[in-house]
Amino acid sequence: MPSAVPGFAPTLDSYLRSLKGHAHLDLTIQSLVDLLKRRQISGPEDCALATANCLRQVVAKSKWTDADTLLANVSRAGSKLMRARPNELVIGNIVRRVLGLIRDEATEDRNDGAPSETPSEGQMTPIGEMSQSFHSSAPTEAPRRPGPVGAASSANIPRSLSMLLSAKDVADNEGTISPFGNSGTSTPLHRTTNSQVHALRSEVINGIQEIIDEMGQVDDQIAAHAEVQIRPGDHILVYHPSPTVQRFILRAAQKRKFTLLIHCMPQPRGATGHDNYRALRDKLKSQGVQSIVMTTGGGMSYMSRVNKMIIGASAITANGGVVSENFSTIVAAAAKHHRVPIVVLAGVYKLSPECPYTQETAVEFADPMQHVDFSDGSLVHAVEVKAGLTAFLPANLIDTYITNLGTHTWEHLSGLISDHYAEEDVNLHLKAPQDA
Amino acid sequence: MSSKGKSGASSAKGRKPRAGGGGGESKSEDVLQAVVLADSFQDRYRPFSIEKPRCLLPLANTPLIEYTFEFLAMNGVSEVYIYCGAHTEQVEDYVSRSRWSTASRSCPFSVVQFVRVSDARSIGDVLRDMDKRSLVDGDFLLVHGDVVSNLVLDKVLAAHRKRREESAANIMTMVLRSGGPGSHGTKTNAITPVFTIDSRNKRCLHYEEITPLQSDHYLTLDPAITDELSTDFEVRADLIDAQVDICTPDVLALWSESFDYDLPRRNFLHGVLKDWELNGKMIYAEVLEEGYAARASNLQMYDSVSSDVIDGWTAPFVPHKNTSSHGSYTLYDGALSMEDGAFSAPDAVVTRSIVARGTTIGKGCRINNCIIGKDCQIGDNVVLEDCYLWNDVTIGANSVVKQSILADTSMVGKNCSVTEGCLFSFGVQISDDITLSKGTVLSTINASSEPVAKDTQLLGPNANAARFVDVCYETEDEDYDDEDPSRLQKSLLYNIADLNLSQSSISTLSSEIDDDSDSDAGGFAADAASSRSRLSSFASDDSNRGGAFHSDAVHGILDALRGGSGDFDAAKLEFMGLRLANDASDLMMRKAVATAFARRAAELLTPEYGSLEPSKAAEKALKTRKGATKFIEEVGIGGEEAEQVEYILFTQRTLFHVKDPRAGTILAALLQQLYAEDVLEEEGILGWWADERAEESEGLKGLKEKCRVLVEWLENADEEESSEEEED
Repeated sequence: MPSAVPGFAPTLDSYLRSLKGHAHLDLTIQSLVDLLKRRQISGPEDCALATANCLRQVVAKSKWTDADTLLANVSRAGSKLMRARPNELVIGNIVRRVLGLIRDEATEDRNDGAPSETPSEGQMTPIGEMSQSFHSSAPTEAPRRPGPVGAASSANIPRSLSMLLSAKDVADNEGTISPFGNSGTSTPLHRTTNSQVHALRSEVINGIQEIIDEMGQVDDQIAAHAEVQIRPGDHILVYHPSPTVQRFILRAAQKRKFTLLIHCMPQPRGATGHDNYRALRDKLKSQGVQSIVMTTGGGMSYMSRVNKMIIGASAITANGGVVSENFSTIVAAAAKHHRVPIVVLAGVYKLSPECPYTQETAVEFADPMQHVDFSDGSLVHAVEVKAGLTAFLPANLIDTYITNLGTHTWEHLSGLISDHYAEEDVNLHLKAPQDA
Repeated sequence: MSSKGKSGASSAKGRKPRAGGGGGESKSEDVLQAVVLADSFQDRYRPFSIEKPRCLLPLANTPLIEYTFEFLAMNGVSEVYIYCGAHTEQVEDYVSRSRWSTASRSCPFSVVQFVRVSDARSIGDVLRDMDKRSLVDGDFLLVHGDVVSNLVLDKVLAAHRKRREESAANIMTMVLRSGGPGSHGTKTNAITPVFTIDSRNKRCLHYEEITPLQSDHYLTLDPAITDELSTDFEVRADLIDAQVDICTPDVLALWSESFDYDLPRRNFLHGVLKDWELNGKMIYAEVLEEGYAARASNLQMYDSVSSDVIDGWTAPFVPHKNTSSHGSYTLYDGALSMEDGAFSAPDAVVTRSIVARGTTIGKGCRINNCIIGKDCQIGDNVVLEDCYLWNDVTIGANSVVKQSILADTSMVGKNCSVTEGCLFSFGVQISDDITLSKGTVLSTINASSEPVAKDTQLLGPNANAARFVDVCYETEDEDYDDEDPSRLQKSLLYNIADLNLSQSSISTLSSEIDDDSDSDAGGFAADAASSRSRLSSFASDDSNRGGAFHSDAVHGILDALRGGSGDFDAAKLEFMGLRLANDASDLMMRKAVATAFARRAAELLTPEYGSLEPSKAAEKALKTRKGATKFIEEVGIGGEEAEQVEYILFTQRTLFHVKDPRAGTILAALLQQLYAEDVLEEEGILGWWADERAEESEGLKGLKEKCRVLVEWLENADEEESSEEEED
């Protein structure tokens, strides 16, 4: 996203560039915290990218001699970032993915027989229990899982799964995984040798790079499912289509002739909302796909003809709820009423093991200035402007989830979560240290 | 001077933070510098600012300077120079322990340097000193330590840079926020900045400040603006000026050239724009329609900005987004932000407020529109409206506090009533069952930081404070005059109701004279009784001084007239003394005398003073006091026909504002009496009759008509060369 004017105000770009310098690690973390708090980095994609890059710096630069210290370092930095934007669940997801990655790599490097000293939880539960009981929607209830063999193996499955689907050649990384189970060195963590630290470091950094690469490919991989989901002659409803949704629609348009209904709320403060989708509509037109833009209640009259509604998610919570554009709950509820199937598109990195929301709360509120002109003195000190920015769609509205790993139903989500996040890290947001 | 370059942020982070102190070394083009003026050389935050500098006072539970730093950091500033002035140690101590210190590894700035200027008496002195030291060598932001803003300046900076590349004479860009027509809470009271801006190239052509205290509500633009500078310009009085300026070092040089400039706007900007031909410099103004920027420059603005923070206009700098480094606020319904660890009783109703950690709110409290700091104890059934409680404030049960500021560790007893506009400085305690009147300012120390004697009579036996008296204006400051609009900004309440205000406008000349805006029928009596008068602006040259003189003089004469019988000489002496003291012109005296007598006559019509008939009233007004008519003749008129005409005009206009149906009759009666006393002559009255100023408006015409009989009689008498007949 190159800006027209080279400015001084920090952005995601300038932040990523700054990581190439030799800034102190504390400053690297604090700058990102500031940028997140000030909303100078916003949107789940940007937040996730910045978090992954920041954590890579933590792995590369922080002082550690064994995996436990590294885990502590990463979770300390991670919880700072999570607290900066508690409502941006992807930050927590990335932190947990990185933590899980470290656990996996560390477990592979050491003797699989030795019980690991996990830094946080001493609670042990049988491994077998995990896979069944984890369907519970409340992660706090979920039993904890110990570190050793089982954890490593179960964590390995999704990694290889994701690698199968990912276009990138990950052969060398597979190589680092494969030693699993064949090592006989029973070196305890705290006595890790220098070379092992070095190896672990580069493995983890490679793993983070993989996560970053995965994020870059998510939209393409999701779009690959477009032809399956959209059939000729369909009427597809989208609400404020995100880039992911747009990519999905455009991919479908290459093969299929359908009608796209773009539903938008009138943009606050006189901005013309549907013009935002001019480029999308022009592209669709060149493919011969008709598109219709509707505002406010107009959408409801089309609802009986709609075959499918597609929603781009900012985050998917553990219980299958979806954080998306404000008002999408209402549109989705209307679609549900007409028995229109609702499909949610999200990269798997947006799937969170938390579920902090209920239907009643808008997830985040917009700045009043987006809705009311501050120069209107009669309003400014007279009204309380409260407008949602994102909304929460409860799981019962949603029929299908499409991630870069494929198409899932609600029942699959808990499996995906346990595949991607280590049990110890699920409650990371609850045990955030209160250090300054 | 390529505008291409790395972002300031990246270059800042790419460098190890180095210790401040390196001045004068050459810095690359892509580093943004900022000069923070943390002392404004004002005393509008008294009594709080005696103990703590303004920039450390909490706004929405965050010290003001944090907002400034956040603003600078979000705009990618990397080098910050702070001037603190008063309480330098406190500010330095605060900053060195905060995350903004370059010693802390998470500081986004590469340089944070304190600039100490000895014997600086104004902002001008500081900036002139900055010029000497040449600390800044590129574009820099000039901001105050009390600015709250979320503006992103990238576009403005780019535009500034482009202009500067075009010509070195383009030295400064002001960043302003449009405030829309009509009243706006975040506009400053009492002083309205008026910018004249070229619509095409955004060059600022003229700057002036207008106040409600000035009598002539108009601006004088240099004719050169229309002739030479611009064909298309706007005069805007609606702008919110947070005094965020993008400057080149030339600005500092210009400050140095003009050694007498004190204030960045009223002196510097006004002066530089006025002398554009001499200095050849150009200043631009960017008016933004998005974003928030305001200065908490006085207590009223503190109130407004706090209100904006509660409503979220300053986002992301609002408590529930937790931008400031410490904080864990959550936003609840009703615009209530509460920090973790704040406790509110279940039946307490708290709305539109910010409550910090450690605070306990008792049972049955009703709290609206308040900002409550850390560790406050609020008893049961307390009512708080529009209050600012800083840290550790205690409020006893059943007390009511309205629109007041209670500083750290202050304490209000039980069953107290604190009304609007009260200020409690640090550590003030008052006993139980105390009622404070509006605008009471309490402090434990006086203006020179010495402990005060407790005022137990006012504040009860457990009190440790007394009324705060701002001696500064009474003794030290010789320049103090009643017309300084900044005095309107000194209290928390902006109140112009009891001030002498003129209502002049360009279009209506009739309102130039004493204008009592009370339109209700009883307004006049109440007005006269409350000894209230308004500024005149008949002679706009000396209107400021004249206003004070006029009201004093009119009141003096009125009091003398009301005083019953006796010789008028004493009053005359007093009046002449007043005249000398104010260097009043003949015209002003004439006006004062005419106004006073006309008022006196008019008030005699009212029931309060006996409901006299108009002719009796006129007679009583003129003749009760011996020597009064002589006084009018000598002092009030003191001349021939022209002066008499003016005197009658003033009388007529005064009566025009009386709003009594008999005003015309009393005018005729007064004229007749004065004619009979030989104070007015035939030529004077006839001259007035012919004068077109006497019928400028319908109302004046109506009054004039009532005198037709008198005038016709005079004309007849004139023809017959005899004036023996009686009339009426």
